[in-house]
Amino acid sequence: MFSYARIALRNVFRNKRRTLITGSVLIFGCMALIITRGFMEYMYWGTREGAVRGTGHLQVYNSSFLNKEEMKPLECGIDNYASLQHLLESVPHVRATEARLEFMGLISNGEKSVAFVGEAVQPERQKRMGMLVQVRTGVDLLASTAENPAILGSELAKSLNAQPGGILTIMTMTADGALNGTDVTVAGMYSTGMKEADSRILSVRLETAQRLLATNRVTKFAVALDRTENTLLARTEFEQIFQRNHLNLAVRTWSELSMVYRQVTTIFSAVFAVLGLIIFVLVVLSSSNTMMMAVFERVQEIGTLMALGTSRFRILGLFLLEGLFFGLIGGTVSMALAWSICTMVNRARIQLPPMPMNTEGFPIMIQPLPGAFIGVFFLAVIMMVFGAVLPALRGSRLKIVDALGHI
Amino acid sequence: MGEIIQCQEIGKDYRLGTTTICALQGISCTFHAGEFSAIAGPSGSGKTTLLNLLGCLDKPDRGRLLLEGRDVTSESLNRLTVYRQKRLGFVFQTFNLIPVLSAYENVEYPLLLAGTPARERRVRVSDMLERVGLLDRGDHRPNKLSGGQRQRVAIARALVSRPVLVLADEPTANLDSRTGTEILHLMRQLSLESGVTFIFSTHDPRILDNADRVVELEDGGIAGNGSRPQYPAGEVQHV
Repeated sequence: MFSYARIALRNVFRNKRRTLITGSVLIFGCMALIITRGFMEYMYWGTREGAVRGTGHLQVYNSSFLNKEEMKPLECGIDNYASLQHLLESVPHVRATEARLEFMGLISNGEKSVAFVGEAVQPERQKRMGMLVQVRTGVDLLASTAENPAILGSELAKSLNAQPGGILTIMTMTADGALNGTDVTVAGMYSTGMKEADSRILSVRLETAQRLLATNRVTKFAVALDRTENTLLARTEFEQIFQRNHLNLAVRTWSELSMVYRQVTTIFSAVFAVLGLIIFVLVVLSSSNTMMMAVFERVQEIGTLMALGTSRFRILGLFLLEGLFFGLIGGTVSMALAWSICTMVNRARIQLPPMPMNTEGFPIMIQPLPGAFIGVFFLAVIMMVFGAVLPALRGSRLKIVDALGHI
Repeated sequence: MGEIIQCQEIGKDYRLGTTTICALQGISCTFHAGEFSAIAGPSGSGKTTLLNLLGCLDKPDRGRLLLEGRDVTSESLNRLTVYRQKRLGFVFQTFNLIPVLSAYENVEYPLLLAGTPARERRVRVSDMLERVGLLDRGDHRPNKLSGGQRQRVAIARALVSRPVLVLADEPTANLDSRTGTEILHLMRQLSLESGVTFIFSTHDPRILDNADRVVELEDGGIAGNGSRPQYPAGEVQHV
């Protein structure tokens, strides 16, 4: 067997130019797969973390909230949120929880009124959860010393000509259905990255909103876990607790809440599958062509080997071994080059323009996934061996006398 | 000397499109162990076809071929492969060395096929290279050797597995006259030393002059019915 390995390995480098061309196709193809997969993983990670930052790993609702339309604000809210919050935080893997209240209304600067979508939060808990909203201008809700601070979406602030320290009036419907209003101090402005959202959103402290809506209820809890991987484990634990304590609560994971994440993973997975298929076909065709040329060039040599007593099976194996070595070498070079490119790109921090509907660009990052490296390495070997099958069969089926007489 | 090859009315046809060409017709002859024999004849007379049949590289369409008393006509291709590996050696007109292997590795190859242990391989390959005068060229690839040296390597490769029969297809045709003579003398010497049967296909008069016997072919059959005065040292085989 060693002898065949030696012949096969030397044959790989026999026609250097052809080896270089086929090797380039293989290496570029494999690198493209590794880099694309790494970029996809970065996009998945970014989208996932973005989703988790917005929603928390889990959200807990009153079950009715998910099933029916509220006729009045907080009709399907959660009572006794403080004691419930304490219960939720006793569950393993839970880092912190935050009660949130969603409300809508009008915000006015005295001259102009604009509809808003508001969210009342617990900023000190948000900070513990690593979810404290970062403001672009001014200060956040935690740092503000104002009595009723509010942070506004950047576009909303612009439309109201609001500046940090300015006073605005927000009006909404109370839990009983009456109209109510309160003055808030603009603490700062923030951006979600999406222009449409930035023109509508504002955020206030939970106490401000509860006072405004005249309620003790909250809409939901956002739950932060120690690790995203523990999401399903914690969800199961929550459901068991709700059942044991006869609580009419339901839990949703970040992936169920984030449609963007599902869309991104679906689209990228489809793109990757198509790209992989194209590269597979290209490399197999290229390697098959190279091996076929090798067979044509070595017809007399094959005849000689068979005349000396080499079996057809071994001739077949010789060409497959050649493909295997080609794949092993090409796969190794691909991994090394892909690793270098990943490192260089990640260090360069090249900025991409904003995605559609977004206002901010993001850096290209490629996550060097060990699984992708190993998978593509084996794919390289499979592609080259697969490409060698037909030529190898052809070579092994030659008639000895015809092969020896071939010029 | 015992008979090593018996050809009994063997024939071979080739198809060219719709035409069938009879390459060999009713060949009957015998070769004895240790002989240094030649198959002579003009181009297209069937020399190479007969040599291919004797070397189990092809099968006759008619007749029987017995090698060492064994009828190889009905043997499977796999069994013939093993038979060639263990009992036959080949020398080709164009040397047919494996270009990616060194001279040493080319000679070693048949022993690797036969599964000969490494230590024995080293001894036998070195011995063969020494006998053909190329021990110092063992690490050279074929493209770094002259035509004569390549043919010496091919002869060493043919003999290293200690075959009973070496078949040489015009072994001097691609060599200049001096090198051709050297190669011929080398083969003759090795034949005498090892007692191996050599059969050549050739129209080189030097080989024919040195052959123990000459089988002359013409139009796919054995030619003539008398002695060949132009080959005084040899003997022309008759039916």
